[in-house]
Amino acid sequence: MNWLALTSLMPLLLVASISVILLLLLAFIRDHKLTCWITCLGLAMAAFWAFADMGDAPQQVTPLLIMDDFSRLLGGTVLLVSLACGWMSYTYLETADEIREEYYILLSLAALGACVLVASNHFASMFIGLELMSVSLFAMVGYMAHSKQQANMTLEAGVKYMVLSGVSSSFLLFGVALIYAYAGNLNIDLLVAAEGPRLQSGYLVIGSALLLVGVAFKMSWIPFHMWTPDVYQGAPAPVTGFLAGAVKVAVFAFAMRWLMMAQGGYLDLLLLGLTVMAVLSMVVGNLLALRQNNLKRLLGYSSIAHMGYIIVTLAASATLGAAALSTALEAAAIYLITYASMTMLAFAVISQLAAQDRRFESGTLAHYQGLLYQQPLLAGALMLAMLALAGMPLTAGFIGKYYLVLVAVDSQLWLLLSLLVLGSSLGLYYYLRVILVLCKTPVGDSRLTLGASEKLLLTLLVAVTLWLGLYPTPAIQWVQLAIQ
Amino acid sequence: MQQLWLIPCLPLVGFLLLVLGHGRCSRSVARLVGVGSVAMAGLVTLWVALDFYSAGAAQSYQVQLWPWFNAGTLEVSFGLYLDGLSLSMLFVITGVGSLIHWYASGYMWQDPDYQRFFAYMNLFVAAMLTLVLADNLVLLFLGWEGVGLCSFLLIGFWHQDPANGYAARKAFVVTRVGDTAFAIGLFLLFRELGTLDLPTIMALAPEQFVMGANRPTLIAALLLAGAVGKSAQLPLHTWLPDAMAGPTPVSALIHAATMVTAGVYLIARTHEVFLQAPDVLLVVALIGLFTLLISGFTALNQTDIKRVLAYSTMSQIGYMFFALGVGAWNESVFHLMTHALFKALLFMTAGSIILAMHHEQDIRSMGGLRRQLPVPFWCFVIGSACLVALPPTSGFFSKEAILIASWQLPGYGPWLWLGGVLGAFITAMYSFRLLFMVFFGPQKAHPHEPKGWQFHPPLMILGALSLVAGWFVLPTATVLPASPAGHPPTWTIVVAIAMPLLGIGIAYKVYVRHQWQGLRFVQWQKLRQFLFQGWGFDGMYKRLLLTPFTTLAQVNRNDMIDGLPKLLIQLSRFLHGLFSQLQNGQLRFYIATLASAAIIVLALALKVL
Amino acid sequence: MTYGEELIRHIWPLALFLVMVGGLIVLMLTLPALLGGKRVSRAVNEPYECGIVPVGSTHFRMPIPFYLFAIFFVIFDLEVVFLFAWAVAVKETGWLGFTEALIFILILFAALIYLWRLGALDWRTSRQKLDLRNLDAR
Repeated sequence: MNWLALTSLMPLLLVASISVILLLLLAFIRDHKLTCWITCLGLAMAAFWAFADMGDAPQQVTPLLIMDDFSRLLGGTVLLVSLACGWMSYTYLETADEIREEYYILLSLAALGACVLVASNHFASMFIGLELMSVSLFAMVGYMAHSKQQANMTLEAGVKYMVLSGVSSSFLLFGVALIYAYAGNLNIDLLVAAEGPRLQSGYLVIGSALLLVGVAFKMSWIPFHMWTPDVYQGAPAPVTGFLAGAVKVAVFAFAMRWLMMAQGGYLDLLLLGLTVMAVLSMVVGNLLALRQNNLKRLLGYSSIAHMGYIIVTLAASATLGAAALSTALEAAAIYLITYASMTMLAFAVISQLAAQDRRFESGTLAHYQGLLYQQPLLAGALMLAMLALAGMPLTAGFIGKYYLVLVAVDSQLWLLLSLLVLGSSLGLYYYLRVILVLCKTPVGDSRLTLGASEKLLLTLLVAVTLWLGLYPTPAIQWVQLAIQ
Repeated sequence: MQQLWLIPCLPLVGFLLLVLGHGRCSRSVARLVGVGSVAMAGLVTLWVALDFYSAGAAQSYQVQLWPWFNAGTLEVSFGLYLDGLSLSMLFVITGVGSLIHWYASGYMWQDPDYQRFFAYMNLFVAAMLTLVLADNLVLLFLGWEGVGLCSFLLIGFWHQDPANGYAARKAFVVTRVGDTAFAIGLFLLFRELGTLDLPTIMALAPEQFVMGANRPTLIAALLLAGAVGKSAQLPLHTWLPDAMAGPTPVSALIHAATMVTAGVYLIARTHEVFLQAPDVLLVVALIGLFTLLISGFTALNQTDIKRVLAYSTMSQIGYMFFALGVGAWNESVFHLMTHALFKALLFMTAGSIILAMHHEQDIRSMGGLRRQLPVPFWCFVIGSACLVALPPTSGFFSKEAILIASWQLPGYGPWLWLGGVLGAFITAMYSFRLLFMVFFGPQKAHPHEPKGWQFHPPLMILGALSLVAGWFVLPTATVLPASPAGHPPTWTIVVAIAMPLLGIGIAYKVYVRHQWQGLRFVQWQKLRQFLFQGWGFDGMYKRLLLTPFTTLAQVNRNDMIDGLPKLLIQLSRFLHGLFSQLQNGQLRFYIATLASAAIIVLALALKVL
Repeated sequence: MTYGEELIRHIWPLALFLVMVGGLIVLMLTLPALLGGKRVSRAVNEPYECGIVPVGSTHFRMPIPFYLFAIFFVIFDLEVVFLFAWAVAVKETGWLGFTEALIFILILFAALIYLWRLGALDWRTSRQKLDLRNLDAR
């Protein structure tokens, strides 16, 4: 390992060091604000480092991790999402009757796991990253275990997530083992030993399929989605934001590396399964959200649908072949970035509201009635997030969806395209329903307060969501740079 | 000509100010903005006119402001076009418009929605100016629909009374029939000529069209349908009498002076197209003739002062159509101008009377008002004299010219002339019936005349203008073709002058002296009813169109076509319920689902082998 | 060798294994039923047929620190497993390997400090800790 490799790995090292520093710090000083500052600063530095490195030559750091521009772009995105998550957690935890500081250790560990996942080109590092992220998330989902209001929900969610995640990980691990049995190594590129495959390709197929089960669980593609609404609802709002933003980006980044960029033809083996999951996720995901009355559950179903849309890029790269691969990769990366921005916006709003009154995350949509008049900034931001998720022009969501449609038309995936359109129109119903609720006459006149730091976070997220929609050219150029 | 854009812009700015400042500024500010913007537009018009005349009247100017939209080969821009015709219209709109706004600022003073009223009025003026200044038919259509919208808004201005809302809706729907035909005409015109730019159309139409062929005839007929709807001619005239539900200044501005003459303007503007369709021109003349006769007879039996004036307006626009049809283009526009002056005068005088009579509009409860209301009386006399074309008022000059031109028309000329003269006779009868019933005879009420600088000066200015407008020369001769040359026999002129006098005489005998009651041919109850209801057009439309339509709507109350989307909604909801059942929150079920799904994925993957 | 033969060659150990597992289960379930005694008496159903009579309930709570200590043992003792792997290749990995092992141990050490300061190694219930603190305060 040389110096260059070490510096290119710096974002990961920074995030890792946050958790150790916090461990030592918390042994002596307990200060919520300081802890939050250290976490956010560390994550910001790591993200900055990742983006600043873009354009440098790819660095293979040990056989496990590769730091190329793809890792830097999506790793940086994951780090920014984690940063937003840490930022919005502050007020949320400040109002919680629960020990606060350890949360940030878990958050930085989860961010580290996500970054490892993005940067892995080896099944071993993939598994390490995935598990590091998941295990931290078990604790984060169930973090409010001592809170009088939330203990039941959050513990139930945490246990469900842990058990189901364990089951899916076992599938994934078994799949990796079978692929190893076929290829003789764990490199993500299917580097079969010179003397030919050691075993029948049936091992490869079954192994890939089981690996896909693990990935599909984390992406909550239907029919592996069952945990999503329960965990989304039960987890504290910032953690749900992390689940919806960072986890999805990281896992799909791995899926892109594994299915689109790596050699081995995994995608051709799994295309049928992926298409079925896409169809189900787009249609059933939206249908499930249709009359959902809890905003976090609704966003859970919405994320199922959105993750269903993004399978279009996988299918497209399979049908188009190598020539149009870069288009599909570009579309997927842009979709992930836009999705992360608008999702984080939505959860930032929910976190700030839940910090004031936990019923905003656990109760029905009725609590949001007339919010526009009581808290215009928060309600406006939530409206923007809903419009963006619905794919309205001039917001980030439109750019992402536009790319998906472009790719689907290019590769003539008419079935997926028509379902994408159908799903989007179904989606419009429930996103607009939220906006409608926000605009109704308020029932009480509870004034909500909003601190300067929360305002800044919301402004930044709104700015990013609008900027990606209004002037996406710089972001697209960046993505194109990373894909090459 | 650079300041041309200011003319439609000023009222629009006024409208925006009034709307944005709604509820925030006082009445006097609203008055200042509302009247001021139109008056400013009038001043700018004068400025433009000075430029126009100093550069020689034989010119036209086209000012491109900015492109609007491009669709294929169709390029539509916000462009203004000024020639003699549009300048004449500008005079009428801004001049008469300013006076009516001035008058309205007093008339509406007590109304709680003062500001909203002026906002609509300014928007109307802006739209009307856009209509006459547009250099392409799409922009013209925008103005056309804009004035329609404002007409709708202002007829229903007192929307608390459902009847007013009904009248507004009726006006909107009936004119919409014509507008649709107009729009289809535009599409056809674009298909044939490839442009909707007005100067280009005028240049291309004589070259591209074969005279009397199907295409120009169809296009001209469709344009005519639009004009007929907007100008309340047969058979789309039924909305105008009901439109009197609006405030009286609205009736003066929109339903007498400007908007209803937009149809005349449209035909004059696209005269090159109509010249290629002689059959349609004859239809124009006949529509005008029938409208002027039918509405004249109807006016003779109305009891509401505003409805009499409304039918009179239809009748006078009938004269304009008649003139267009017989080829008297310039005379038609001239009559448009004089009519705008004296009809606005009549309406505003009627408004004063209505105010004085505490919103009583029935002429049977008026009478002998000439002592109490001297200024309105003399103004009404002047207006009526113009209306019946007594020499030397302005109405005489314009109507006489039309009648002469009609005599000149080869073929049907004398017959048309006869109809026109008969119309003049009826006009005299009904106008002086109105005058005598309102101002003469025994006094029946105690009016309180509204006085002040907002009531008398505009009336007097308009009265003076109506008297002398006959000597005005409009700069339309360079735009529109001249009427057929030649001199009719002298006796025709004598008859044309004598007829109104005869009509006045009979009206005097019948309505002042109460002699010759046999001539009150409305004695016959059924006929009177028939005439009172405007020749039963409303009933006919109701039976032919409204009743079947409402019946169909009743039958289709639950909207059968909507069933399909509703089915989709039901299906979505059903599926939502179904899938929601699966989210039962039980961990064991979730794990079982996960395992089964894994088996399915495995099976799908193994299918590849 | 045909495809089918090769498939069988690969599959048969697995199939044999499955059959053996199934057989074992069947055996375990059936043999006691066949061989066991059938006498029914009151004492047979006692947990200790010929011992002392049990008292109290089996549902008692283990103190939480018990589990914590078990977990700590797993974490800190299994660290040695990784160090064994390093130890057999200590010369080949050189200073780099040494550094990596050092970082690993240091991180664990940081965790130990954290746990120590947190009081996780204190085998006392929170009630007892509270009493102790009150005692100190007095």
